[in-house]
Amino acid sequence: MNPWLLVVVPAVAAGLGVAVRRDDRIAQVLAVLGAGATLLLALVAWIGQSGTVIGFGPALPVGELQVPLGVTSDPTRLAVATVVALVATAVQLYSTWYLRTDDRYGQFAATVSLFSAAMLLVVVSSDLVLTIVGWELMGWCSYLLIGHWSRRPSARRAALKAFLVTRVADIGFVLGLVGLAAGARSTDLGTVLEAWDRPTQCIDTAVAGGSVLGDALTACAAPDARLRAVLLALVVVGVLGKSAQVPFQDWLADAMEGPTPASALIHAATMVAAGTVVLTGLHPLLEDSPSARWFLGVAVSVTMLLAALLAFAQSDLKRMLAWSTVSQVSVMLAAVAVAGPGVDPDAGLLHLWSHAIFKSLLFLAIGWAAVAAGGTAATALRGSGAATPVLRAAFLVGFLSLAGVPLVVGGVSKEHVLSSAWDGAVAADGPGVLVLVALVLTSAVTAAYSTRGYLVLTAHVRRRPEAGRVPPTVPGLLWVLVVLTVFGGLVVLTGSFAVHRVSLLWLLLTVLVVGVGVAVALRGGFDRDPAEVLARRLVPHADRGLGVDALYRRLVARPVLRLARVVAFVDTEVVDAYVRGTAVAARAAGWAGQRAHRRERPSAGVGLVLGAVVVLGLVGVLAWS
Amino acid sequence: MSTLVTVDWLVLAPALAPVLGVVLVLVGDAVSPARRGGRWALPVAAVVLVAGAVLALRGSLLDPATPLRTLCLPAPDGACLWTAGPRTSTLQAGVLLAAAAALAVHHDARPRLRDTTVTATLLLAATTGGVAVAAARDLGTWLVALELATVPAVALVVLRGTRAAAHGGLSLLVTSLASFALLVLGAGLWLTATGDAAFSPESVAAAWADPERRAVLVLAVTALVSGVGFKLSLVPFHAWTPQAYATTDLGTTLFLAAASKLSAAAALLVVVEALVGSAGSVVVVLLGLPAAASLLLGTVVALRQDDAVRLLAWSTIAQAGWVVVPLTALSSDGLRASAGYVLTYAAATAVAFGVLARTGARSLAATRGLLRRDPLAGGALALALLVLAGLPPGVVGLVVKVLAVAAPVAEGVWPVAAAAVVAVVLGIAVYLRWVAVLVARPGEGDEPAHEGSRARSTTVVVVLGTAVLLVTSALPHALLGGLG
Repeated sequence: MNPWLLVVVPAVAAGLGVAVRRDDRIAQVLAVLGAGATLLLALVAWIGQSGTVIGFGPALPVGELQVPLGVTSDPTRLAVATVVALVATAVQLYSTWYLRTDDRYGQFAATVSLFSAAMLLVVVSSDLVLTIVGWELMGWCSYLLIGHWSRRPSARRAALKAFLVTRVADIGFVLGLVGLAAGARSTDLGTVLEAWDRPTQCIDTAVAGGSVLGDALTACAAPDARLRAVLLALVVVGVLGKSAQVPFQDWLADAMEGPTPASALIHAATMVAAGTVVLTGLHPLLEDSPSARWFLGVAVSVTMLLAALLAFAQSDLKRMLAWSTVSQVSVMLAAVAVAGPGVDPDAGLLHLWSHAIFKSLLFLAIGWAAVAAGGTAATALRGSGAATPVLRAAFLVGFLSLAGVPLVVGGVSKEHVLSSAWDGAVAADGPGVLVLVALVLTSAVTAAYSTRGYLVLTAHVRRRPEAGRVPPTVPGLLWVLVVLTVFGGLVVLTGSFAVHRVSLLWLLLTVLVVGVGVAVALRGGFDRDPAEVLARRLVPHADRGLGVDALYRRLVARPVLRLARVVAFVDTEVVDAYVRGTAVAARAAGWAGQRAHRRERPSAGVGLVLGAVVVLGLVGVLAWS
Repeated sequence: MSTLVTVDWLVLAPALAPVLGVVLVLVGDAVSPARRGGRWALPVAAVVLVAGAVLALRGSLLDPATPLRTLCLPAPDGACLWTAGPRTSTLQAGVLLAAAAALAVHHDARPRLRDTTVTATLLLAATTGGVAVAAARDLGTWLVALELATVPAVALVVLRGTRAAAHGGLSLLVTSLASFALLVLGAGLWLTATGDAAFSPESVAAAWADPERRAVLVLAVTALVSGVGFKLSLVPFHAWTPQAYATTDLGTTLFLAAASKLSAAAALLVVVEALVGSAGSVVVVLLGLPAAASLLLGTVVALRQDDAVRLLAWSTIAQAGWVVVPLTALSSDGLRASAGYVLTYAAATAVAFGVLARTGARSLAATRGLLRRDPLAGGALALALLVLAGLPPGVVGLVVKVLAVAAPVAEGVWPVAAAAVVAVVLGIAVYLRWVAVLVARPGEGDEPAHEGSRARSTTVVVVLGTAVLLVTSALPHALLGGLG
């Protein structure tokens, strides 16, 4: 199957969706059909296809640069594409209920279709230009989705903040990819990898061919390792921005102003996870560049622990899920950061896969509970998960998976990440030890806030909570996701992800770490909110994201505005002054000339003539002699 | 005293046509004075001039290597007193047509001219001088023809009879005499330096090689350039121009601005052509200083004018600088560019004065909204101004400006090129200022249209002039092809 289909189908659905946005029924059918068809295509291709299929694009020769614009599908990419399409379908189905009374449902559904098309483009892209296109399109769609309820000032601000923060980080992303493409004189991913990866392979071949190592080194022109590290670090900056990692972490929690299905889409399968896909694609370069991996490793280690602590102390459970996303994306990126030469980074993609399933389950479930309870604050949601069996099951399985309990989907993938980190720590040329320590601590904290979430949501309250009236699709959808969360870990058996077996030792260790976290959370007993017990004083700070928003304004916004004012002043008062000065000078010269000619008399004319002749004659004779 | 060996009357026809016109007008006036109020004299003169122009254009199509020659001296000198290549012939045709345009504007003058025969005679005489000076290749003919082109023009200015006109005429006459003195001095010095009564490159080269004769030659060139500079309105010999333009009637102004400038430029080309190839940087300075001064002063003062005729007068001064700019290259390309420039300028300025005559407007404010009130006149004036500024759709103005700057750039005369660039920028402001007035909405008090129906012959001038500008804008090679 041509990989382009995976991008074209949702893109067409988006285009048609804009056309029929006035009629909610047609828009609903179109959106769900588009997402469903994409899911079906991805699933069929994943099951049926073995090996790699290349979709050729309209190759553009741009001067010395080759721009093939091709796409590729292989089992790993198809597995990720399948889960993206699955989440998109779930979100579209859920939105038909959640946004049934919204007057701008049509636009929302079309944007979701476009968003999934952009993410699928990033997943199947084997061309840096296509990657940038999909990446930027996601930034734009996230702005539209977060700001969907644009009548609320807070939603507008959150959308703008998300857009600005990710745009700033995208400067690095675009610069890095442009630098890589320029070095390779092509934007094709394979050519880029080969061009920047040349020396080791080239030297190996030369040595195998019987030449001396010194000759082989001179024969193989090495790409500048320092330049490569800088370019990769720039790409990593872009990824940190899109994935809401330190220091760009603050936009994602504010993005909870968007409708819950949009949050599910952004958090589970698309935007924030896209960085993992891109870095996995660039891993052959990243593995040779320890400095870039150190940069990534430090950033994600700080992020995962900080975000987990902040998640624990949130008074709003939807924001708790947002911070948990930040932390979990760090876990995915950690798997890429620790994977040294010869180690596959697919543990990160596996965690993306499982995170997409259980995080969409949690978001969709909490969206329902919040509608029934009338708010997303922990106090409002208290006990609302006990309203129906499906919600209770969803929260139980979802939080178990989030905590990383073995055998459910999140546990399986997290154990693989942990074992990758251990390999990295043993190899000791990257940030392996640091990441491993952070991962272990984070696992404990994650288990603690998962326990807290489950305790709060299913607490026993005096008044029995109402689940509200929902169409059967919503509980059906949640049941499907519950089943996938429980059995999704079996995906490792398909061989789509290059991960090795996990030993029993790791299983026991994980259980131990999770157990510690759960035990800490349960110190206050089953009836009290663990955040109240353990982190009462941290809660107000955590709700403000530790005041990073003010820091952004002070360190970035204010200096930029001040610089802009200086530039504007220089432009209008200094540069323009010269321009205006020429006009003033010309008019003044004209005035002076006219004044000099006011007395137009014959004598004046003759005097001028004779004087000029004398001057010209003098000039002539002097110049000659 | 040698006798002429050849006299080819057909070759001399462009100069003889206005002479024939003078004879016709004078005889007609003697036979039947005041017939039909004397109004027949101007059309007769115009017909004769157009016929002369057609005969002159015959020479434009010739190969530059074999020009029309006559009045040749016997061997061994073999010099011909009348030599008209394609460039000269086209300039002659330009002079004749510009004079015809001036006659057409005179024909529509209100109040009607009382002394049409005198006007026609003077105009034809001046035209004869202008045509002859372009083809003259010896000092005597050149000097006489140049004065013949000037003195009747002074009389034309005075003829208006008002006090201001007499004032302007006096200014013109005094400076004219000063310039004549300079020209005679220059001619004498030239003869002393080269020992040759003709403008020939060979004798100039010989004189230039000798340091003592070179000094005399430099002084001769100084005097000649100053004398012609007066007629061409080069700074610092320009002071008479705004006054004479503003005090006389539009027909005479058109003659001064178009036909006189063409004759003066043709006279200067004769001198510079002899200098090409041998003269050095001193001559470049002698030509370049007045050119740069004219460009800058004319443009800058034109920027401040609110009187339409005075604006065009100062614009003439600036354009005279443009005519001299390519000559500073002292190359044959420069001569060609100069001729092309002066022809384009003459066509554009004739159209502008024709529009002023048709509408009766004397100030910029009076032309407000002309493009809507009178699209023919407004469109023609806008096109003429754009040609003078060198902006599309007046492409021909742009082409001749590029050629004019290309010649000194090719020879490395950078200061003149720099002055030209500054003048282009300022010139755009000068002419667009007027174009903006033309395209503005008509004010409350403006009349819907002027006496367009009665000024028929002026309208013909405007239409034909605009057609020439449009055709040469679409096909610039038509103009350049006529210059060799």
